[in-house]
Amino acid sequence: MTAHLTRVKARLSIHAHRKARGLLEGEYAAIQVGRGIDFNDLREYVRGDDVKDIDWKASARTRMLLIRRYVAERKHTVVLAVSTGRSMAAMNDAQVSKRDLAVFVSGVMGYLAVRHGDLVALVYGDARRQHVRPPDNGELYLERLLGLVHDAITPEAPPSDLAAVLDYVARAIRRRTILVVVSDETSVSDQLAESLRRLTAQHEVLFLTIGDLDPTITAGAPRRLVDVDAGAEVPGWLRGDVRLQQEYAALVAGEESQLRRRLDQLGVVHERVEDTESAIAAVFRVLERQKHARRR
Amino acid sequence: MELTWTTSDSELKWPWLVVLLVVLVVALLAVWVRIWWRRHPPGASYVAHATRLVSLPRYRTLVQRRRLLGGFGSVAALVACVGGIVLGGRVQETQVMDRDEASRDIMLCLDASGSTAPWNVDVVQEFRDIVEGLEGERIGLTVWNNAAITKFPLTDDYDFVLDRLSEAELAFAGWSEIYPSEEFDDYTAGTWSEERQYQSSLVADGLVSCVQRFDRLDEDRGRALVLATDGEQRGRGVYNLDEAAEYAAEDGIVIHVVANPGEPDKEGDSDGLQAAADETGGTFAQLGTGGSAEDVVEEINELEAAKIERPPLVQTVDEPRTGQVLAGIGVGLLLLVWTVQGLIALAGRTNRGSTP
Repeated sequence: MTAHLTRVKARLSIHAHRKARGLLEGEYAAIQVGRGIDFNDLREYVRGDDVKDIDWKASARTRMLLIRRYVAERKHTVVLAVSTGRSMAAMNDAQVSKRDLAVFVSGVMGYLAVRHGDLVALVYGDARRQHVRPPDNGELYLERLLGLVHDAITPEAPPSDLAAVLDYVARAIRRRTILVVVSDETSVSDQLAESLRRLTAQHEVLFLTIGDLDPTITAGAPRRLVDVDAGAEVPGWLRGDVRLQQEYAALVAGEESQLRRRLDQLGVVHERVEDTESAIAAVFRVLERQKHARRR
Repeated sequence: MELTWTTSDSELKWPWLVVLLVVLVVALLAVWVRIWWRRHPPGASYVAHATRLVSLPRYRTLVQRRRLLGGFGSVAALVACVGGIVLGGRVQETQVMDRDEASRDIMLCLDASGSTAPWNVDVVQEFRDIVEGLEGERIGLTVWNNAAITKFPLTDDYDFVLDRLSEAELAFAGWSEIYPSEEFDDYTAGTWSEERQYQSSLVADGLVSCVQRFDRLDEDRGRALVLATDGEQRGRGVYNLDEAAEYAAEDGIVIHVVANPGEPDKEGDSDGLQAAADETGGTFAQLGTGGSAEDVVEEINELEAAKIERPPLVQTVDEPRTGQVLAGIGVGLLLLVWTVQGLIALAGRTNRGSTP
């Protein structure tokens, strides 16, 4: 059994050393304000509040009746929704496959949740079939989930269909969760937008996308490339053409900016994961943005 | 001698090799296409969303260029293959040479005595017309009186023959009873030996001498002898006419006699001449006093019509030109395509260098 989580932890510890931050705790914002141990803030007493919550010392200082508020101590559920169609079996860049990157970024998210004491669930699938693994806690369970994602992504798998996976999430997950979507979408179709709109009403949606290897480059790229969807080889005469590279780069950039704009419109916090080096930073960035988005 | 080969037929020497090569090429093509269509070439990496390339204008340009070059290259390779296969099969042509006309010898055997000289002019004149229409035959000229000399041996150099005949015509035209021209004397010098002045116009000896002028007797050739004489013989020679005719018949020589009346007061041995012609299967023409050259022409035309049938020569030769041309065109086109591809690649590289 490959130790997916071990790699995640090793990376995370390096990252933590580099940036002296309390990385592994409190990285994502709690959803509900309620009663718990963690103190949140004070507010003026209104009728109906529990008398036990009155902060007498603070009230004495300010000469007005204040009550303490606590962050709800409820356990959260993080749902990893991973698209595992065959397009995910392709290369992300010359070194890393999209599968490894998807497993890695899911692992980072899941590990943060596990360290936080939260539950992790998994929904994964392709155009033909979708699966769900119920929320549970513990590193061992997370490792198993990552193994499932890893094994589901093969070049022989059916095509990717993120909208199908998200619809399955809508059907299978009833409670309010933090939904982490990991996919390789290049654009947001109307169907996908509809699914996302529905899900954002129920969940906190974090959208992570993985890019593709540029099939037009030759330097540092594999010698032979096969289009995993078409099943045909990318002909050698297409690669290394300067003008084609420029046009392709412009196309990818245009698609990405359109994707961002569309997700912004939908109010979905999103981030592009470029490689394993920047994956952790991307995860924290998306968590940061989610926090701000929620407080606004 | 002019040889004209007529190509009748072309076929393959090794048709089985052609079949084998075609099967081989088709099999190689099939294997190649299989490999080409195989879903996963070994050692390949996967890339997703590559179909986005199709929407790019540059992609369409590249595909068009590729299609053009690939199409040309394939056609060129196929043409080269076909050329190679044709070469391998060894196309052979069967050529046939008709030897009928090319295998006849005609010896002109002229009596050089003064009595026949005017007739000789007619004979020679007509013979010139005949020569102009000949192809492949060899002509020779022998003149005799009491000795025979060869004016020219059997040859197919017709320009030379015509020159000689003109010379003969001029010479015979210069004869006169009283005062023969210098050309006549020069021309007939050696045919009249003073020591044997009681012998002249030795027809049989002249005939045998002419017969002996035929060469290549071991070859199967048509041989004709045109004997122009008046048949007046003074004295006796080695042969008589019967023996001479026999001698000619032994070598398969056909004697055509053009007899002329000669001097009016003397009788020639026309019967003997006719017998000689008959014995060798030839013709006999008696030119009367009013006899014209047309009769001679007729006789010689008859002679020309009497061709002998011989089996044609057949030879088979390789005809590699088709294969060579096909293979050459194919290889040339292929080289052209490769050059164009190389130039495009080079242009792309320099382009990349200039715009990093």
